[in-house]
Amino acid sequence: MTTLDQQNSLDRGPRFTLRPSLFVPIAAVAFAAAVGLALIAAIGVSVPDAIEAFVDGTIGSPYALAASLNRACVFALVGFGFVLANRANLTNVGGEGQIAVGGIAATAVALYGHVADLPLGLAFILPMLAAVIAGALWGALAAVLKVKSGTNEVISTLLLSFIGVWLLYWCVQSPALLRKPMTSSATLPESLEIPDATQLPLLTGDYGFPVHIGLPLTLLIALVVGVLLAKTIFGVRLRAVGLNPVAAHRAGISYAKTVIVALAGAGALGGLAGALMLLGEQHTLKDGFSSGYGFDGLVAGLLSRGSIPGVIAASLLFGFMRSGGINMEMVAAVPTALVVVIQGLIVITLAGAALFIEKWERRT
Amino acid sequence: MISTSPAAGASAPLLSLSAVTKRFGSFTALSEVSLDLRPGEVHCILGENGAGKSTLCNVMFGVHKPDGGAMSYRGAAYQPSGPADALAQGIAMVHQHFSLVGDMSVVDNVLLGRGRGVLNRKECARQLAKLATDYGLPLDPNAKIDDLSVGERQRVEIVKCLIRDPQLFVLDEPTAVLLPDEIAALLQVCRRVAASGRAVVLVTHKLAEIKEVADRVTVLRGGRTVATSDAPARDIDALVRAMIHGDVAELDGTAASTLGLGKVEHVGHQPPPRGKVEALQIDGLTVKDRQGVTRLDNFTLTVDRGEIVGVAGVEGNGQSELAAVLAGMMTPTSGRYYLGEADLTGRSPKEITAAGVGIVSEDRHAVGCVLGMSLAENIYLNRLDEFTRFGFLNRTALQRDATTLMRRFDVRARGPGASFSSLSGGNQQKAVLAREITLPNLSCLVASQPTRGLDVGAVAAVYGHIREACGRGIAVLLVSSELDELLSVADRIVVLYRGRIMGTCPADPARKAEIGAMMAGQAQ
Repeated sequence: MTTLDQQNSLDRGPRFTLRPSLFVPIAAVAFAAAVGLALIAAIGVSVPDAIEAFVDGTIGSPYALAASLNRACVFALVGFGFVLANRANLTNVGGEGQIAVGGIAATAVALYGHVADLPLGLAFILPMLAAVIAGALWGALAAVLKVKSGTNEVISTLLLSFIGVWLLYWCVQSPALLRKPMTSSATLPESLEIPDATQLPLLTGDYGFPVHIGLPLTLLIALVVGVLLAKTIFGVRLRAVGLNPVAAHRAGISYAKTVIVALAGAGALGGLAGALMLLGEQHTLKDGFSSGYGFDGLVAGLLSRGSIPGVIAASLLFGFMRSGGINMEMVAAVPTALVVVIQGLIVITLAGAALFIEKWERRT
Repeated sequence: MISTSPAAGASAPLLSLSAVTKRFGSFTALSEVSLDLRPGEVHCILGENGAGKSTLCNVMFGVHKPDGGAMSYRGAAYQPSGPADALAQGIAMVHQHFSLVGDMSVVDNVLLGRGRGVLNRKECARQLAKLATDYGLPLDPNAKIDDLSVGERQRVEIVKCLIRDPQLFVLDEPTAVLLPDEIAALLQVCRRVAASGRAVVLVTHKLAEIKEVADRVTVLRGGRTVATSDAPARDIDALVRAMIHGDVAELDGTAASTLGLGKVEHVGHQPPPRGKVEALQIDGLTVKDRQGVTRLDNFTLTVDRGEIVGVAGVEGNGQSELAAVLAGMMTPTSGRYYLGEADLTGRSPKEITAAGVGIVSEDRHAVGCVLGMSLAENIYLNRLDEFTRFGFLNRTALQRDATTLMRRFDVRARGPGASFSSLSGGNQQKAVLAREITLPNLSCLVASQPTRGLDVGAVAAVYGHIREACGRGIAVLLVSSELDELLSVADRIVVLYRGRIMGTCPADPARKAEIGAMMAGQAQ
């Protein structure tokens, strides 16, 4: 028995060792990519063109790289939220709605009165805080339903997602809410662009490489969530409630409090993801602006199997895949459907790889 | 009882195992076990918990595939593809846990998985009647399972097997849930089934049963065959030594009583002087379930400081409800529960723990611990706050204190960081006991079935700690279905039957028959 052993079994954290756990996922992604390329060839698109478009869209230019990283941040935040709630054996599938309400709240605050004139970065911090609170409330709603009446959080967070997405539609359709003033019949159903001061500052100040402060913020949150889960009493309580709610209750751990805090935390991170998308990149609230990010973030959380570095890895993968996919579509005329198929393939092979690793490690 | 069966001699074995090995991961559950089962014999498999008895049965019944060795059945190689295959070949098994549909009748349960097309209930009922007379298994074919007693339910399981006319009949710890009378009846059934020329395998850890019914005995310890006997009644002491790897004379009296070994002796401590402050006072607790059925009926009892009161009864007679109410896991329909002056009725588990009541839950895995967490975390699960500063858990202090408790309570594990699920049942229970008994202001301990599934050594340790706590002036309420253990360790015994107290009497082994009758619902 070594202290290292103890630490591992106590923390349930990720283990960094040179085991198949590293190369099997890489092989899985390579396999999925190969199948994807075969499919692209089968529909008559030039494979080299497609690859070139993909590379251009991911790392081909500073701009593309920045866009990929910004996307990864959004996935990662939703993924961290998923992992947090999942530690208490809760499955938060409501990332999409939490992004939507976060975006709505951020836009509303950014466009409100003199928020844009506030000093010390409050101009963009306040909208972010609003998004965090909105997302937390959206998550807490599902938690309260679960605690009070036993509603399964998979159902409630999913249904709340639809409500959030349609709430967004309503906000951008109704001039009484966030739709910009209709000056002509051609006015699009979207909000005004948020003022410059409320947009997230870029890290380098270079518009050719528009990585915004969401990246360091996401890394900071990764650290906070990681420490919270591994080092604090709250993390232990989450785990106890997740593994055995009855025994946790007998030991004096409040189930209601733990569930509400866990889902509110997951929602808060979803809301923040919405704020990053809106304040950092889109600047204008449009219908469907969350465009599946909540679900991709959920998949990143699932694939990570509870590990924060795992979420980061999966989010980077998804961030690059989405950027590259969009470019393949635009430049190489690969149909959207096929891009989605390839992404699905990668998810399935990765999940299969995880299963394989687990069996392999159990055998040794 | 001396065997009268014709089998004990030399007839060809029905099923023979040679050097059968079964591993689960790195754990070897069975190691080169060889065994012959002959027609007409009752063959007992004896061993402590975790000795590999159930695994052995499951290998015979095709649930597990052996990793090594060979089996032959009626002279031919036997490699069952699964339980269905084993059944088809004539090997039937009654599992520890029943698999009956509560809402269906006896006939329908027997027909489950057997009927094809139109059910022939009449024919089945006729067969049941024949089995009833042949083997002494009376059953009302139209009774609903939910209305039957545990003993009757087990009869249904047995009939389900016998109706298939098996050649080999395996019973895995069938007596654990039965009343004394029912046990005697079951052993009679075993004898009759064997007398009809079949082989019966009876798994048990109770020596009294072996003395009464076994033709031959195989003793397992740590997955190995450590002893066999063709004359169990004569060799009983040697068999015990083999099973527990120690000497019978060294056994703690209470532990010996769990084996049904010899006479039950009262080894309890000095009875406390009466008239001291009562610690636990239960006043008219009544629990009704959702259907409005009364599960616990006007339960009134006081337990003094330094006194151990045993609650006896066949499981399912209100003990679970009583313990759940005392633990704060269930709200009673009426009645109150006090600790000293404090009214604890309907308080949360957290408040009850804070008031100084330690709880050992009957279902360790469901209520008592979190299997996926570490030993240290489980030992301090209800006191984690003491190891916290600014929300951060001080794992060093947690592990250090847990290590101290592990030593004091002899909890054997790889270390305080070991996963709780990696501990044996006995060590898990010692850890739970350590947690509850070391509450800083403990004044009362409620322990439900604290020795269930434990081996002899662990039983002795558990009762040692309970007695020690009692000696410090803790009031102990001990709920157990093991009457012999209660007789040995308690000061007083109250008997629960259908949620009511049937009677109270001193824990005097001489009054065992009287208590047994009360457990069966006969007022004295």
